Parts: sequence; structure tokens; C-alpha cells
Amino acid sequence: MIEAIQIWLSAALVIWIWSFVYKDNYLYRLAQHIFLGAAAGYSIGISLDSLNKTALVPLAKSPTTNMHLIIPIIIGLLFFFKYSRRYYWVARYGVGIALAVGTALAFRTAPMANIIRQVNAVLLPLWTPDPVKTLNNWIHVVITLSALVYFIFTVTPRVVEGRPTITYRLYDAVLRIGIYGMMVAFGATLANTIMTRLAFFISMNLQYLQPYPLESLSAIILVAIAILFAMRRARAG
Amino acid sequence: MDGEEGLKMGTSLKRLDTIIGTRQLLYTLLIIFTLIPMFFPLRLPISISARTKKVYNYIDNLKPGSYIFIDFDYDPAGRGEIEPQAVAMMKHLFDKKCKLVMASLGTTGPVMFEIMRKTNPDIFAGKEYGKDWVNIGYVAGGESAAAGLARSISGTVAMDAYGNPIGNLPLIKEADKAEQFALAIVFTTGTDTLYYFVRQWFTPYKTPLILGILGVMGPAAEPFVAAGQAVELMVGQVAGAEYEVLVGRPGIGLGAMDAQSTSHAIILIFIILGNIMFWSVRLRGEKR
Repeated sequence: MIEAIQIWLSAALVIWIWSFVYKDNYLYRLAQHIFLGAAAGYSIGISLDSLNKTALVPLAKSPTTNMHLIIPIIIGLLFFFKYSRRYYWVARYGVGIALAVGTALAFRTAPMANIIRQVNAVLLPLWTPDPVKTLNNWIHVVITLSALVYFIFTVTPRVVEGRPTITYRLYDAVLRIGIYGMMVAFGATLANTIMTRLAFFISMNLQYLQPYPLESLSAIILVAIAILFAMRRARAG
Repeated sequence: MDGEEGLKMGTSLKRLDTIIGTRQLLYTLLIIFTLIPMFFPLRLPISISARTKKVYNYIDNLKPGSYIFIDFDYDPAGRGEIEPQAVAMMKHLFDKKCKLVMASLGTTGPVMFEIMRKTNPDIFAGKEYGKDWVNIGYVAGGESAAAGLARSISGTVAMDAYGNPIGNLPLIKEADKAEQFALAIVFTTGTDTLYYFVRQWFTPYKTPLILGILGVMGPAAEPFVAAGQAVELMVGQVAGAEYEVLVGRPGIGLGAMDAQSTSHAIILIFIILGNIMFWSVRLRGEKR
């Protein structure tokens, strides 16, 4: 019985959410509110479960050995002072400690992971026995450097008395290579975005609609009625 | 061409431009061309990319019985893209007799894992919980949680996803730290998680990483491979489909490939038509 309800709901909610593509309607908004409510409720539930498993149960089972867990629990509880007009400032201590811990953890390895390794990855041999690799390395190095030049805003060559200097021409050429390099990257991102969106659409069909044609058809009929109703209301208004 | 004929052509061009620009037309065509191959499969051939082959070979060359850490961190929308990768790779890992420790740094991960397990029971058949695989479940804390798990799983969480004390699980007694894992696989729909694992698992402990990600995240994750911080990327549904072919277990990924091809063909046609219209209108000196 519960499984049947799940199937009906999943098929209906997918169709109703998609109906927005055609027109806003009551069923779309109902599905949207159900989604938001369920997502918020689920997040709270799973967070409490995590707190229970990582702190409360160990503390209850052996309080003496797990006494130290009281400290993070208190720090976490400080966040709730945000809801008090008088003591909202206390929440800043909780936020401050959480931020400090997060930043410290990230900084421990961030310079190596995010800067040094990435810079190292661009230090490539520009002459290799393999011509394809040589070309790739040149493209990699030139485009990376050119894209970096695009973001240098403090020192830029200027046109002197209406005539561009050699420095300016060189700068302009490098800048253009950087722009084209970035445009290729944006193009790749856009193409991948389309692929991802289509994959979402296709897999929703495969997972929630195609196996349940009756449920999907019922949801489509309901949403068609809702759209007609919305169109009639819009015309009347 | 006289002025009247030119005017007539301009009007018809504009009309065509309006028709092509109608979003309902594109959506309708997309729905049709996505649904047709689902009911009448075209079985278009797919080739295996060098990238997927590299991941396959890497896993294939792992020592039997290696410990693998898997982060299940994708959301319901990304299920179609990531789940085919996860299922095919887990089948390969279990076939290689690897032992898997699963965890989720995102709240939706545990549900996605349970759905995957329920809909693909054959993957876990004959595998003993606690000995061959363990599911830690959701671990709150983001990067701090990743760092904690890398240092010590049993020191970070007290219980697994099913309420068992973590110290009682034989697999966790054998593999508790990042250094003990031969590989960490991150299945995620969030770019932040990739940074967590690169910073907290690869950089301090040199645990090799394979990143199973959405298509849209591909270009952003590319530098990790270039810098040697990740073995390779598995990008999108197509990577999952390729891996399904390699392990000989067709699933949702492969089933979606026909629809991907037909719907992309429609988008390509619209891009070409849109560009023709754009340049025709522009060459006629009209402003859009």
C-alpha cells in the first residue's frame, strides 16, 4: 500500500513540477511546497540523527570517557541564541569557533592543494618527442598565462597619443588569447550543463514515469486540467 | 531582388525566427525525441572513452581485498547521472573482492545509497555486512567531517547508519584511516566535496581519488586530474553507461544513451538554426 502511494506521488510530483515549463499552475505550486517542506524536514531529521549518533548516544553510554563531547554540543547550542533579540551576540561565538576550525583545517592543506600543485601542473615541458603532447603543453601554458593576464587590473599598457605601442599590441594579443581560452572553457561548461539537464530529464523519465504509465497519465491529465483552469483565470482576470 | 521581395523575405525570416525561438516548440520536440527511444530503443553504439577505460584499468589492477572508501554525496536530481557510475563501479569492486566503506558528507547521500541498494540487490548478493562492506551514513561537518574520517573513522563516528557500534564492525577494525584505503571514490553533485577530499584525503595522506561527478562539474574538476590530485574523473551519465558496458551489466546509464543522442541532435539542430537566423537577420542590417 505504502509503495503504491510512493509510486503515485513520485510520478505526480515529477509531472507537476515539469508543468511549470508550460505554465504556472496550482499543482506545480503544490509540488514545489511539498518538495521544499520535505527537504527542510528531512535535513533537520538527519542532522538530529547525526547529532544523536556522534554525540548524544556515546555521551549517554559512557559519560566519563566521552565528557569532552559536551564542549561541541554547547558550541552548537550557542547558534540558537540568534533567535534572541537580547542575546543574539552570543551566537557569534559559536559561529566564530566553527569558522575558525573550518578555516584552520582548510588552511592546513589549501596552499599545497589549491595553489602549489595547480601551479606545478602548468610547469610543463614545451619540447617533447611527441608533437601532439608538445602542442597540448603549449596550448595549456599559453592559455593559462593569458587568462591570468586578463585578471591583472592594476598595470595595463595604455595607448599613447592615439598610437598603440608595441607593449600595448603584445598585451592586447595576450589578452585576446586569454579571452578565447576562457570562452572555450565556458563553452565546454555550457555543453556539459545541457548534457546534465538532459540526463536529469531522461533519468526522471526512466526511473519514475516509464515504469508507471497509469500513474504518469493520471498526473498528466490532472495537470492539464490545472493549466486550463489557470489559463481561464488569467483570461478572466 | 527588388525592395518588395526583400521585405517579404525579411518578414518570413522574422516569422521563422519567432517560431524557432518559441520555448514550447523546443520543449515539445525534446519530450518527443526523448520518449521515442525509450519505447523503441535504437541501440546506437557507444564507444568507450579513454577516461573511463583508465578508471576501469585502475580498479582492475587493485589488489584483491583492497579497502576502498566511497563517499555517497549526490542528491535525488543527480541520481540518473551518478547512480549508473556507482552501481557499475561497485560491481567491479565487489567482483575484485574489494572491501567497501561507505559514508555521506551530504544529507541526501544515505537515502540515495539505500535506493541504489534496494534497486540493485544483485550487487550486494553474497556480501556480508560489516565484513565486506559498511555504511557509516551521514556524517555532519563538511570539510571537518572529511578530515575526521581521514584521521580515524572510529574516532569520528560512534555508530554506523544502522545503529551498530562502529568499533564492533570487523571491516572498520581493519581499515580505519585514510592511509589504509587503496582508493577513495567520491560520488557527488557538489563541487565543494571534491575540494574536501583533495585537501583532506589526497594532500595529507596521498590516498588516490576517483571523482564521479555530474557532467556540468567536469570542466571545474579537470584541474584535479591535470595536477595529479585525482586518478581520473567519471563525468556524467555517459561515463556510467561506458562503465556498464565494461563490466557487462547494462543499466539506466546505457538505457538513457539513445535518448541522450536523439535529444542532443535536436539541440544541435536548434543551435544551427538559431545561428543561421541570427546571422541572416544581422547581415540584413536589422537589429534584434
